[in-house]
Formats: sequence, C-alpha cells, structure tokens
Amino acid sequence: MVSQTSPMLEDAKPESATERIIERAMKIYQNYILRVLLQAVLTVWAVTSFTFILIRLMPGNPIDVLVEQILVQEGISYEEAYARVASSFQFDPDASTLDQYLDWLGDLIRFDLGESITSPGTKVIDEIARFLPWTVFAVGAGLLISFILGIVLGMAMAYYRNSPLDHLLSLFASFITGIPNYIWGLLIVIILGIQFGLFNVGQLRGTYASDVEIGFNYPFISSALAHAALPIITYVISTLGGWMLNMKSSTMSVLNEDYVNVAEARGLRDSRIISAYVGRNAMLPLFTQLTISIGFVLGSGVVIEEIFVYWGLGHYLFASITTRDYTSMQGVFLILTMTVVMANVLADLGYGLLDPRVRVSGEK
Amino acid sequence: MTRKQKTSDTLANDSLTAIILEIPLNLAKAIWGFLVKISKNRSGFIGFLGLVAYFILTFILPSFIPFDDEANLDEITGPPGSRIQLAVHVDNADVYQSLEDLEGRVVGVVTQTGGPSFIAPYEDTLTVEEFRWSSRRTGPGIQAALTALANQEIDAMLIFSKSVDEVITNQEDPDLKALFDANIVISNPTLGPRHWLGSDTQGRDIGSHIVHGGRILILTAVLGGVISTGIALVFGSLGALLGGTVDNVLTALTNLILAIPRFPLLVVLAGLISFNNTLFLGVLIGVLGWPALMRAIRAQVLSLRERDFVEAAQSLGLGMPHIMFREILPNMISFVIINFIFSITFAMYEQIGLVVLGLAPISDYTWGVMLYFGRTRGTLFNSDGASMALSPVMAIALFQVCLVLFARALEELFDPRLRSGLV
Amino acid sequence: MGKMKDDVVLQVDDLSIVYHTIRGDVKATNNVSFELRKGEAMALIGESGSGKTTISLSLIRKLPKNAEVTQGQVLYQRENGEVQDILQLSNRQLREFRWQDCAMVFQGAQNAFNPVLKVSKQFEDTARAHGWSDKKAVRQRSLELLKLVRLDPERVYDAYPHELSGGMKQRTLLALSVLLSPQIVILDEPTTALDILTQRAIIDVLNDMQEKLNFSIIFISHDLSLAAEMADVVATVYAGEIIEIGPVNDMFYESLHPYTFGLLAAVPKLDHEQDVLTSIKGTPPNLINPPSGCKFHPRCRFVLDRCNVDVPALTEDLGSHLAACWNKEAVVEARKEQV
Repeated sequence: MVSQTSPMLEDAKPESATERIIERAMKIYQNYILRVLLQAVLTVWAVTSFTFILIRLMPGNPIDVLVEQILVQEGISYEEAYARVASSFQFDPDASTLDQYLDWLGDLIRFDLGESITSPGTKVIDEIARFLPWTVFAVGAGLLISFILGIVLGMAMAYYRNSPLDHLLSLFASFITGIPNYIWGLLIVIILGIQFGLFNVGQLRGTYASDVEIGFNYPFISSALAHAALPIITYVISTLGGWMLNMKSSTMSVLNEDYVNVAEARGLRDSRIISAYVGRNAMLPLFTQLTISIGFVLGSGVVIEEIFVYWGLGHYLFASITTRDYTSMQGVFLILTMTVVMANVLADLGYGLLDPRVRVSGEK
Repeated sequence: MTRKQKTSDTLANDSLTAIILEIPLNLAKAIWGFLVKISKNRSGFIGFLGLVAYFILTFILPSFIPFDDEANLDEITGPPGSRIQLAVHVDNADVYQSLEDLEGRVVGVVTQTGGPSFIAPYEDTLTVEEFRWSSRRTGPGIQAALTALANQEIDAMLIFSKSVDEVITNQEDPDLKALFDANIVISNPTLGPRHWLGSDTQGRDIGSHIVHGGRILILTAVLGGVISTGIALVFGSLGALLGGTVDNVLTALTNLILAIPRFPLLVVLAGLISFNNTLFLGVLIGVLGWPALMRAIRAQVLSLRERDFVEAAQSLGLGMPHIMFREILPNMISFVIINFIFSITFAMYEQIGLVVLGLAPISDYTWGVMLYFGRTRGTLFNSDGASMALSPVMAIALFQVCLVLFARALEELFDPRLRSGLV
Repeated sequence: MGKMKDDVVLQVDDLSIVYHTIRGDVKATNNVSFELRKGEAMALIGESGSGKTTISLSLIRKLPKNAEVTQGQVLYQRENGEVQDILQLSNRQLREFRWQDCAMVFQGAQNAFNPVLKVSKQFEDTARAHGWSDKKAVRQRSLELLKLVRLDPERVYDAYPHELSGGMKQRTLLALSVLLSPQIVILDEPTTALDILTQRAIIDVLNDMQEKLNFSIIFISHDLSLAAEMADVVATVYAGEIIEIGPVNDMFYESLHPYTFGLLAAVPKLDHEQDVLTSIKGTPPNLINPPSGCKFHPRCRFVLDRCNVDVPALTEDLGSHLAACWNKEAVVEARKEQV
C-alpha cells in the first residue's frame, strides 16, 4: 500500500499493535540479556582483580618459598640461591604489583592465563582444561542427583506432613545437613573403606585408572564413574537435606494456594496436579538456592577432592597454593568465579523460562 | 516530714529490691517458658539437650579431666576400651583375673608389644617370661607364647587385644588352631588402663583430648558467627534503612563477595598468612562470611519497614536509631538468632575444613587437629586406631547436628514463615 | 438409588457434617435437605461461618481432611436420568464428576489460576483430564466462552494469569467453569473483592450465560442484593442449618424466620426513604456446643419459652416456602408494622 505518511512516522509505527508489542518485548529481552552478561563480566573482573591484589599483598612469594628451601638444603648464599630460582621462574618479584596486574590483565583479554610459575612451560589454561571437567562432572552429577531426590522427598514430606514418614525424614534431613561434607567423606573412607573394606581407597586415587584408554569405552567410563562415585555420594549426602527441607516448606505453602484447590475441583489427574501445579511452583524458590549451592559445593571441592585424592580443580588449587604458584591460583580463581557467575546468569535466564511473572519484572 | 522521707526511702528500697528480685525472676520465667516450648518439639529438644551436654563436656569437664600429654608406648593406637588383655588357660579362667591373682606365677609377654614395660612394676611378685617378637603380626613369638600357655607351661599371658584373636583365627596349622581354641580364653579383656575412646599414635588418651579439644573450636566458631552476623546486621539494616547510595554500594559489595568462592579464598588466605592463633581464624571467617545473611536481613528490614507500626513510628518523628532498635530489631531478633546459629555451623565448617587441609594452626589440640593427625598419621589404615579419627569426627558431627536441630526447632517455634537466608 | 423428580438435578437429603478439631467436634452442617431444579439458581445466604461453604464443598466432596459426613446423601441426576449418590462415588468417578457435571468457582479468583501456565494450557488441562484432547476443538470452544464472558478471547486465551486483571480472571474462571457444560455451577462469593462496576459486569455475564447454557446455579453470598437479582430460590443458612427456604420473592417480601427478617433489615433499601438500619444483636453461635432448641433463640427478638427447648422443623406455609420457627406470626406482624 502506498502511503503518504512521512518515513519518520512509518518507522515509529509498525503495522499492528501485536507486532509492536512483540518487537518491544524482544528488544527489552535482548537488552536484559545484555545487561545481565555485562554485569557478569564486571563481577568476574572485579573478583579476579580483588583476588589478584589480595594474593600479591600477602607475605611470601613463590621465589621466597623455594629460596628458603634451597637455603636450608644446600647452604649456599642467599644471593646465589635467589639468582638460581629467579632465573628458572618466569616471575619478576621486583616488578610492581600494578605492572604485574596490567600484564596479567593484558594476557587475560587474549584468553591467555599465562604459564605456571613453578613449572615453567606449562600453560595454566591447559592444566585447568585437564582438571576442570572432572570437577564439573562430580559436582554436577552430585548436585543433580541430590536436587532431584530432595525435591521428590521434600514433596513427599509435604504431602504426608505430620505423619511418621515426615517426622523421620525431617530428622534425617536435619541430621545429614548438619554434618559437614568433608566429615561425610572421612566417614565414608574410614567406615566403609577401612573398617568394612567395601572398596580400596588407594585404588581410587585420581580420576580414572591409569591402564584404561580415554574415550567412549566401557573400561574408561566405568573407571571414571568408580573414581567419581565417592565424591558424588558425598556431595549428594551433604546437600540432600537442605533440598528436602526447603522443598517441604515450599510445597506446603503451594498446597495452600487457591490454584491447587481449583485444580482438584477441576478434576485434574493427581499426577498432573503434582507435577505441573504443585511441583513446578514449589520448585521455583529452590532454583535461586541452586546457584548459591553450586558456588558452595564447587568451593568445598578443595577439601573433598583432597580427602578422596580426586584430581579435579580443587586438587589443582590446593597443589598450587602449597607451592605459591600465583598464576595457577589466579587461573583457578578466575574459572571458579566465572563458573559461579555463569551459573547465576543461567539461573536468572532459566528462571524467566520457568516463572513467566519474572519476565515482566526483569524488564525493569 | 521525716516520716514522709522515710516512706519514700523504703519505697525506693522496696522498688530497688523488687527490681533486683524481679530481673532474675523474669529471666527464670523466660527460660522456663522457653524450656517448656522447646520440650514440645522433639528433635529441637534433642538438639537443645545435646548442646547442654556439649557445654558440660567442653567447658566444665576440662577442669576435672586432665589433658593426657604423656606419650605411652604400651598404649599406642589402642582401640576403645583397654589395650592389654590377660589370656589364660581354660581351667584357670575364673582364677586369674588380675595381676594380683597371679602372684608367684609365670606370666608370658612378647617383647616389643609394650607388655614388658607394663608388667615391669610387678616383676617382684611374679615371674616374667619373655617371648621374642620375631615376625609380623602373626609372628611365631606370639604363637610360641600361646603354645606355651595352651600346654600350661606358663600360667598367663599379656597380650594386645587384636593379636590374640588374629593369631588364633588366622592360624594356618589346624593342630595348633584346635589346641588354641580348646585351651585358651581371655579372662580379663581390660587389664590395662581403660581408655573409653582408645589411645592415639603416642599412646595418649583420646577421651581427654576430646574433652579439651572443643572449647577453642567452639569459641572460634562463635566468634566467627558473631562477627559475620554483626556485620550482616549492621550492613543489612543500614542498606535497607538509608537506601540510596549507601544501599547500592553495600548491595554491590555483597554481590561481589558472594561471587568469590568463599572456601577457596579462605584456603588461599590461610595458606598465605599461616596463622598462629586459632581465634584470628575466627575473625577471618567472620569477616568473609556475612554477605548471604546480609541479603536476608536487608530483605527482612525492608519488609518490616513497610509495616504499620514502623510507619507510625516514622510519622511520629522518632529517629532512625529508635526505629531500628525499638521497632525493627525486636521483630526480627528471632530471625537473627536463628541465622546466628547457622553462621556458627558455617564458621565451624570452614574452620575445621582448613584444619583438615593442614592450613590452620595446630598449636591448639582441637578436634580439628585431632582429625588432621588421625587422618595423616595413617591411623585410618589401622582399624585399632580408627577411633583417633572417628572420635573427633563424631564430636564435630554431633555438635553440628545439635546446632542444626536446635536452630530448626527455633525456626518453627518463633515463626514458621521466616525461612533462613542460608541454604 | 432413590427416586428423583425428573426436573431435579441435585437433591440433598438430611446431610450432616462434623469437623473434628482439637477443641471438639464442630457441627458445621445439620440435617440439611434441599432440591435444585434444572436451570434454577439457588442462593445460600447467611453470615460467615454459618456453614454455607461447607454445604457447597460437600457437593463436590472437597471438604477439608478433618471433616466427616455423619449422615445423609447427595443425589445427582444425570441428563439421561441416572441417579448417583455423590458421597458414594469412587475416587475415579468423583474426579470425572468434578467440573464435568458440577463445576465450582471458588471465592477470590485472584489465585485460581496456576501462575506458571498459560490460560490456554489450563483450559486444555481441564479438557484433557475429562478425556477431551482435541486441542483445536478445545480452543474453539474456549474462545466462544471467553467471548460470552465479554473478554477479548484471543488475547486472554494466550495470556499468562498475571497479565489479567482481577475482573478478567474472574470472568475467565467463569468461562472455564462451563467449558465441559456441567449441569451445576457452584459460585462461592462470586463478586467479593471486585469493584462495583466489575461486580455489575459479572452479574450480567452470569445471567447471560445461564440463559444461553441453561445450567443450574448454587451460589453462596452474603450479598443479599446479588441474591435478589440472580436467584430463583433463596435458602437462609444459620448455624449449619437451613432455617428458611423459598422462592426469591417470598423470601424477600414475606420472610417468615426472624433471622432472615433481621438480615433483610440490615440491608439498606434504595426504594425506602427512611430506614434505620438494624443489625442482629449477638454473635453467631458456638458450633461445638450449640444452643439448645432453636439455635437462633439467644439472638431472637421474638423468642418464646419453648424456643430453647424444642427444635422447630422446616414447615411449609405458603406453597414451597418453608421456615423453621415457632413464632412466624410475630415476624409477619413486625413486617406489617414496618410497612
């Protein structure tokens, strides 16, 4: 249709009202994603800068640590030892923290996390790529299992509230959440592994047996599962109780909602009411907690992986701390922070898919 | 006039004594009311009793039970109960129960098991026959001693709990096995000094370490909890009440700290600082531990601020301090207390986690340090020494469980709608 | 199963319900009997806590867990003449009965819809639960109904509940209630929490719908003007009992029970100029230990000696107008004085 209206007006007024609404919504939604992503990048930058400076401000650098060792062992002069260590390390302790920081940041923009200080030639990013998948696997599997289990049990507790089942499960949940996860790890090792000899702790060191070939084959997968089983069980036990109790209280408040009552009056099948009406609404508040939980479990992986000698990111971090390997520590922190922040972003966006009400408030 | 003064004096006295009497009375009433309430919540009551028991264990018992710091070779990594047993011939099972009963008799010991030094004070009253320790656990030394005992060449034998059973049950020679089974019994399974929780790798009493190892740990956790709850309370209420830039800055700071993986950061700090004071660790944990709670408190204050009574106070022109301390704080005190308890459990968690990694001070012999040694000194791999790791594990686990049960009960008691801000 | 008159769709016989509570048994419904004819609108009026809601919930067996039906039956007659006692239905039969035969619109539609599902999904859910899974047909029917309740059908059908206003949700719920063409629709306080204009719109919609779809209505209200406007039959509920029931005009202009009379006196009338509003003195009775005799006697203006001893029965006076009172004459006298 040929119109006489000015192009300006045409631009401002798309054809129909619905299209206009869709267009505006898309714009806002895209902006929303952009804003969330920008925030995430800023957070990661701020946190890594913070940890960078904090680490450098602390007494003792990797050269000092090694120099002291050499001094004790070989009895040469301080200058000599210092020169020897300094030459073998790609690290200049006399450079100002600011210079180091700018260098590091410059590399970071090119996705270069630098080389390990204590073992020159080893790229930090390669090391992380080697260790991270195992941690993600163990933590992810553990959280997934405990989340699903917790939701099912929590709903059962709410449906049968004040029954012996509810009391028993509540007590059980409080009990298992109270005990720190590394204590669970130790209990598993001591009682199941040593007292009852159900498995050989020594054989489960690392992430898979050394004699299997990496790939999609049965020996490798079963070996990887066997090695990850104990950390996963530990993560499940230590987080399950929290999900159960939270899901119970959440379900109980949803069960009092009118729409559940109406759904029953509408003659819907119980399975449909439990899944789409009760379960889905009761799960909403738990998603926010899931992101907090991811950060927490990832962080606690340092101890758990040490206890089970599981070679994941926590193990790598601990090793780099003992040798004061700044770049490695820095890299692990970056990755951990990024994982937590990314989990938050995904949860934010995913939450919008689950709860349509948030899509509106997200625009603000 | 004088009379009047007198009455006013007595009145003042009366009211003073009344107040003095009233305070403990009201306190007692409040405590009693609380006890009645908590006793109705079964799991909460269990938690409460547990905490009282822990208080007695860690703050009162240390005055009565000395810390066992004496290395004792006889008792190295003993199981709970007593390490040393008395084995006798079946015929004498009822006769020989203690070393006093064995006066003038022949008692066999195996060298290198600690038995000889244990029996040394009795050498005047009985004859000691030493069997040479010649091989590993099932060595012929013990075997020879058992054979001698079975044949009544000696009257009794001192032996470590596990070795007797092991030598008898693992006996490969069927004749010897039949001989031992038929003739040897343990007449006194607890001959040596009794260690309820066994002894550690230096032969020290684990029970005494448990009694002494809790106080610093609990104080540190409480300190961490106080600091983090305090910061969270101050920041959370400041942010919510003042709003604007203050709120924005505090919220941004909170979100930032929340994004840092907290435990690894502590690990880094602990690894780099190397503390020598456990309480300082509590301060550090507290300083890093407030953000999650700060968010929850901020949300609480924000919602309370909207309530009628606070708006009424505001319209009356009562200042911010009045509103905070008289109107808002009393209404969320239960929430704060509950989260304070949860933050204690977190501080405990982080503190002991650091110790397990060997990054926290080991100068104080706490449950955490016991756990560290129990794990690293290989006692995990010796079933007799499992108690060395299991005892602190149980002490820590049960303490945490009691705290959680108590906090959950308080949650239900005060207001079931208030959920803790922590997972 | 008992015989029912052809034109009756629902017949409640001698129904008593008790709530078991810590403080004792609450006798929420006592010996309630009534009939609902096809296409008829019946209003249950009374103070809150009088047991109106309990009666209506028992009709779809949606009573709280601590409730127990101690006696009586609720007979439902299908269009083909088959009669069933709702209280005896199996769980499966009950699930099918709900909404397909008898829909209930609860008080406060604000939260009647699942916030995470689109309106369309919730219409489809309802249809599918009753064996109707042709989405297109459901959509067509739903759009027609939404149009009938005077909403923009396409927009509402594809919206999420939070995108609708309170009045829109209420009308959407009305449309949903007749999706499966039930014979009976129960409305619990259909207009409370809505503003006057929306209330008006809902009433119009309801009248319109009933005319077109010809279902029977039971509605619960303490809004007497609504009852006057919508109902064919009005029943007054007091202390868990129906104390007066009759055609709407008889009830409003010739009420025979002091309580109904008192309720009406408490309503401002537009066509009367004067009018001192009188409220009923006293508070609703304790249903754990109800008063002896006529349960209204402690609050009654026209109380006689026998009222606290003998329980009055619902007796017929004028055609189908029944009232349970020993002193109806006094009520008639009092009204004459008033006019």
